[in-house]
Amino acid sequence: MLGYVVRRLLGAIAVMLAMSAVVYVLFYLMPANPAQLVCGPKTCTADRLAMVEHSLGLDEPLYVQYWHFLSGLVVGRDFSSGPSVLHCPAPCLGYSFQYTEPVLDKILEALPVSLSIVIGAALLWLTFGIGAGVLSALRRGRWLDHAVNVVVLGGFAVPAFITSLLLLMVFCVYLQWLPFPSYVPFDEDPLGWAQNLVLPWIVLALVQLPPYVRLSRSGVLETLTEDHIRTARAYGLTERRVIGRHALRGALSPLITVAAADIAAVLTASMLTETAFGLPGLGRLMVQSVNQIDLPMVVGMTLLIGFVIVLCNAIADVLYAVVDRRVRVA
Amino acid sequence: MTWTRSALLLTAGVLLGTTAACGGGTRTAGGAFDPNTCQGGTLRILNQKDAGSHLDPARLYTSGGGNIPSLLFRTLTTRNRAGGAEGAKVVPDLATDTGQANADATVWTYHLRDGLKFEDGTPITSQDVKYGIERSFAAELPGGAPYLHDWLVEAEDYQGPYKQPAGIPAIETPDARTIVFHLNSPHGDFPYLATATQFAPVPKAKDTGADYEKHPISSGPYKIDSYQKGKSLTLVRNENWSRQVDGNRLACPDRIEGSYGLDAAVINQRISTGSGEDANAVTTDTDLGPSELAQLDSNPELAKRVAKGGFPYTYYLAFDTTKAPFDNQKVREAFTYAVDRQSVVNAAGGSSLAYPATTFLPNNKSMGYQAFDYFPAGQNGDPAKAKQLLAEAGFPNGITVTLAHRSDNSNGDGPAIATAVQDAYKKAGITVNLQSVDAESYPQTVGNPATQPQVSIQGWGADWPSGGPFLVPIFDGRQYIASGGNFNTAHLNDPAVNAEIDQINKITDPAQAAQRWGALDAELGKKAVDVPLYHSTSLRLFGKNVRNAFVSDWTGVYDLSAVSVK
Repeated sequence: MLGYVVRRLLGAIAVMLAMSAVVYVLFYLMPANPAQLVCGPKTCTADRLAMVEHSLGLDEPLYVQYWHFLSGLVVGRDFSSGPSVLHCPAPCLGYSFQYTEPVLDKILEALPVSLSIVIGAALLWLTFGIGAGVLSALRRGRWLDHAVNVVVLGGFAVPAFITSLLLLMVFCVYLQWLPFPSYVPFDEDPLGWAQNLVLPWIVLALVQLPPYVRLSRSGVLETLTEDHIRTARAYGLTERRVIGRHALRGALSPLITVAAADIAAVLTASMLTETAFGLPGLGRLMVQSVNQIDLPMVVGMTLLIGFVIVLCNAIADVLYAVVDRRVRVA
Repeated sequence: MTWTRSALLLTAGVLLGTTAACGGGTRTAGGAFDPNTCQGGTLRILNQKDAGSHLDPARLYTSGGGNIPSLLFRTLTTRNRAGGAEGAKVVPDLATDTGQANADATVWTYHLRDGLKFEDGTPITSQDVKYGIERSFAAELPGGAPYLHDWLVEAEDYQGPYKQPAGIPAIETPDARTIVFHLNSPHGDFPYLATATQFAPVPKAKDTGADYEKHPISSGPYKIDSYQKGKSLTLVRNENWSRQVDGNRLACPDRIEGSYGLDAAVINQRISTGSGEDANAVTTDTDLGPSELAQLDSNPELAKRVAKGGFPYTYYLAFDTTKAPFDNQKVREAFTYAVDRQSVVNAAGGSSLAYPATTFLPNNKSMGYQAFDYFPAGQNGDPAKAKQLLAEAGFPNGITVTLAHRSDNSNGDGPAIATAVQDAYKKAGITVNLQSVDAESYPQTVGNPATQPQVSIQGWGADWPSGGPFLVPIFDGRQYIASGGNFNTAHLNDPAVNAEIDQINKITDPAQAAQRWGALDAELGKKAVDVPLYHSTSLRLFGKNVRNAFVSDWTGVYDLSAVSVK
């Protein structure tokens, strides 16, 4: 098990380093100049631009910039604020051009927001997705199966930003049951936290739901035809026990891989939902950083996304072994 | 100017009485507004973005940050807080007057008024103003307007007070209340420039460089209570400020709470619904969306809460007048005749968001606007006349050009406008190939003569309401920058134009200067050095409880230092 973890970890680090190098090269090849954007909207002369490029370290060759980045991860970096020197301690992901703050601080600030969104949404989509899938498998071909299909596909077909606006209109404008969402930390006010996040949860769950319904439906149907189910029934186990203990276990294991990828994606890239509800999470931070050509932020965020995806996949591998006894982690 | 009761009443009268004209106007919600009883309540700001990308007076551009910086930073002079054309005038702020110039407007002297204090109670001195200007030269604090680099004597190489603590010799502070600027050429517009946030005082002892934007020291009616960049800003009253020392800002609300990072549709929805605290809401960066626009005719209550105005802006077709075929006046005239301004205005969002342009200056008296249309193309263009001119110019079978535009429509110079131009030009035998340029790099592509497209859609707004900043960067031959960041896309270098600019720059009377700028615009118009397309306007909502939301011709939006929620 330990060997497995170490191997996964080393693999993850290699993947992340490769990603950071690719992002650096992409930014270098890009036509837009971040210094130009920082310099001001009008008449930034060549001299002034050169000064700004120098202060941002953009005048150095690509490999030197990348080397500074790598060494900053290990030993930290110093940046000039003008009158004083700002130290960014290791592991330093760099200093944001736009926020004039260490990249890691900005990411850690946005992380709880995204985590809050993903926890509630995943709970909703897993519960309702699997529930609806199992239900329609058991009622295959009947009206309930069709109804679930229509509702789920309908929810999926409407883009997230439209669903967001519709929900806002209904619950915040007409019924006024909920406040217009703004992020309230869980430790400050748990009820306010949930009240503000319930709409984003619903929107994300609606988008994520369909594959779970489809996968769990077909998984349950497939498992129900297998020999061990027939055996279980032959033993005279109750139908509830046959489904709950024996059919679901086999049907659900493929869902773990899907869920891991989805949770990673929602955690790092729920841009539309975060933007529509004005929640300062990682997705919105990424969009803002890309728009402002904030290279250190984008590299830092890319590394984080890579890390989260690798981590979620590793967790999925372990869970897979727990659920499906035939799989062993070696 | 000191704030007296009669001045207050006069202002109130102006605010209530001014009728909408030329894209500016006055609107108030509810009953009569009384500046003497307007204090109290919490104003809420719902914005998409932070107030400028940096809340540092050195880093804010003249038009940046909406009105929020003006709540924190007082400057030597400021814009008059009134509706319409009155609001396009310069008035004293920290200074006792708008500046005393020498005979040729190269030396400008200001005296600070009595009783000025920072939020911590320390007196504001002329050295603080000088220091604020100097730090805007530092490479660590980029973003401000470049005029001071170019205008002050021997300041273009100054690197800011962190590297060169000796400062700029061209700014003298003979005593704690006097500051003198020495310019390398006449600039009658200097009082306008002194409204920029770079002219806000910064106490050297509190300067933390790049970190200063986290808590800039206030000289205005409010100070920062809490600030999370990109998320929220809470302002409370600055006890060391009073109306006795500030004749311009009413500062009615007791508290101002800003939320940033909201979706544009949500902002408009919240302000139009106005439930709960949203009744006290305004926005400084979001114009009316299509759904509210569609409701205006049927919902008079909502229509009353729309401030109509818009930052004076001109969109035009730019081309290099030194290169064929645009070195030929007849070709340039043909391109002007062929344009269908009705379809361009429609592409820009319709007549409530744009009006056709035949002049380069927008329809603002303070800028010197004079109406002219030397190549009358009517509403829909005159393709026959354009064809005839092209034939005369040696293109009897038409002509093919490349038109560059930004890759998205959000800046008003995107594919919607480009295709409207393309369609109209087809009727005149002009074949237009479109070239879409990535939105972020568009200004750099156009501003570098080496990469400047043959024809491009450009937009221009002035940094203050005078003809100077509207015309000089675009048409002054000496402003042409070969290395990039160039706005003289016509590559115009006409000695007569340059000489006239020098003459007008010496004029210190705004009305007289405006008249000359308008005449210069007309002269340039005759040469068809560009094709004016449209001027943009904007419509902005305010909350049910918000009063005194008048719109000035300077900013084109309502003024946070004047609105009240009581």
